Amino acid sequence: MAKILIPTPLRQYAGKQDSVELAGSTVGDVLNSLTSQYAELRRHLYTDEGKLRSFVNVYVNDDDIRYLDKEATALKDGDTVSIVPSIAGGSAGIAAPPVTLSKEEILRYSRHLIMPEVGMDGQLKLKSAKVALIGTGGLGAPLGMYLAAAGVGRIGLVDFDVVDFTNLQRQVIHGTKDVGRKKLDSAADTMLDINPYVEIDRHEVALSSENALQILKDYDIVVDGTDNFPTRYLVNDACVLLGKPNVYGSIFRFEGQATVFAYEGGPCYRCLYPEPPPPGLVPSCAEGGVLGILPGTIGLIQATETVKLILGIGEPLVGRLLLYDALAMRFRELKLRRNPECPVCGDHPTIRELIDYQEFCGIPNQVHEPVAVEGDIDPVEVKAKIDRGDPFVLIDVREPHEYQICRIPHAKLIPLGDLPKRVNELNSADEIVAHCKSGMRSAKAVEFLKQAGFRKVANMKGGILAWSDKVDPSVPKY
Amino acid sequence: MIRVEKPAWETMVSHAEKTFPKECCGVMLGSDGVVRQAIPLPNVYTGPQEDFFVMDPLDLHRVDVEGRKAGLDVLGVFHSHPNCDAYFSKRDLENSCSWFSYVVLSIKDGRFDHAASYRPDFDQKEAPKEELIYG
Repeated sequence: MAKILIPTPLRQYAGKQDSVELAGSTVGDVLNSLTSQYAELRRHLYTDEGKLRSFVNVYVNDDDIRYLDKEATALKDGDTVSIVPSIAGGSAGIAAPPVTLSKEEILRYSRHLIMPEVGMDGQLKLKSAKVALIGTGGLGAPLGMYLAAAGVGRIGLVDFDVVDFTNLQRQVIHGTKDVGRKKLDSAADTMLDINPYVEIDRHEVALSSENALQILKDYDIVVDGTDNFPTRYLVNDACVLLGKPNVYGSIFRFEGQATVFAYEGGPCYRCLYPEPPPPGLVPSCAEGGVLGILPGTIGLIQATETVKLILGIGEPLVGRLLLYDALAMRFRELKLRRNPECPVCGDHPTIRELIDYQEFCGIPNQVHEPVAVEGDIDPVEVKAKIDRGDPFVLIDVREPHEYQICRIPHAKLIPLGDLPKRVNELNSADEIVAHCKSGMRSAKAVEFLKQAGFRKVANMKGGILAWSDKVDPSVPKY
Repeated sequence: MIRVEKPAWETMVSHAEKTFPKECCGVMLGSDGVVRQAIPLPNVYTGPQEDFFVMDPLDLHRVDVEGRKAGLDVLGVFHSHPNCDAYFSKRDLENSCSWFSYVVLSIKDGRFDHAASYRPDFDQKEAPKEELIYG
């Protein structure tokens, strides 16, 4: 009789026994009787062709039967037969094939390959790199195009917006033919046209506290091309929590900023701006405008820093906030330091998970659908008042250069900033309707006038944009 | 699903970090799907060990025998992928054994990065991921 030791995972198929005593003159005999007695064991030990599986080693006492007579190895009474799997493996394999460049890619990247600072090693690093690009707008456009052209192997785009005509003055990744398409699709088409050798992940979502870590964890570097404070804080905190560098850029009118946050030892966005500005204080590009070329300049600084981080060359823009003034054509640098008291990247962080960033930035969650407030008046109603000849004063609180683009007949131009000193031009006995581009500034004007003692004031809902939609389509939108 | 208790997990991570930049390997002992003890074993591969490991079957056999005495079963094996993600590579699959959970630890620049566990099939064709809970 020989004793067969059953390996732990197989005991369930052998009546839960850890060993079985069987008679037989060879190893083959006892294994056969074992597997006829316990049929389920058979498929774990033998292939369908009846051969011992490649990973199965059989020992008689302490000797491997491969070095004896294999399955014909004779057994004596009292021998112990052990079934032991071969365990081996390794990281190299097809699941993640070694990164190489094809002949076509070598030709494509030749201007990189002949520079020792990049070379084959660097180009392979670029190909292996995974970069998340938040936003495919002004900053995202040059970023996406150049990172794809440079051969960054995997680029994850995050955007949920649709291309519109006002984007085309700066978002050069989208064309006139793309108006109405998803920005993700339009951007990916352009990038793949530039370089079909890159992979593009499309994340059609608004980045949020619920999905940010899940989306960003798969990338090495995060590039922030967003234009609002909640998302900037969200991207920053997610990068700090995930330990990934955040290549930051921001633009307004003729000025831009860029730096690399959340890089090992360096500061984060909260070290620079611990608190967001009060909502509405800092105008967005949609409100204040932006020179179309500006995001090109800033986006390319971000792209340069991204490529440098991937290659590990040069001096990264860490601990330095680069300020760019397009009108003066000057660059300046501010030193930034990590704040040891920073709530997210400091020595004793208090923020250990993502928070509600809309709330943090003081923005009501329904920002896109302002609720009707007392004193709102619809553009259609304003038009009816004009047509009926109702006595009222329509004031336009936009800037003179906006008034030049388009105007509503009979509207009196008093820019919001001039309202306090020109309030005496208005009579509080009159009924007054204020309008601007979209209704935000005129709401402030109405608020101001009410505090100044005016009673009969109303805000034209949706501004001149809504006027164009609902009353007079010949009024251009901008 | 496989759960690795904290002391066992710490043994695995520290063995993987110490062996970096080479691949490490070892056996996980436990019961009822819970790993209670991890036994580091030598990588006996004679070629470059940066991306390959071989466990001596005799070592595994001894751990199995010792484990039986202590009332612990071999639940699986672990190995590391230095500077590489914790995927189940083609070489892992070609050498896999369907009896065990395979825990792969990704070690990047000498520090633990992430881990995953796999259950290869009989034919070494596929290795579905299984849930791994540790610490």
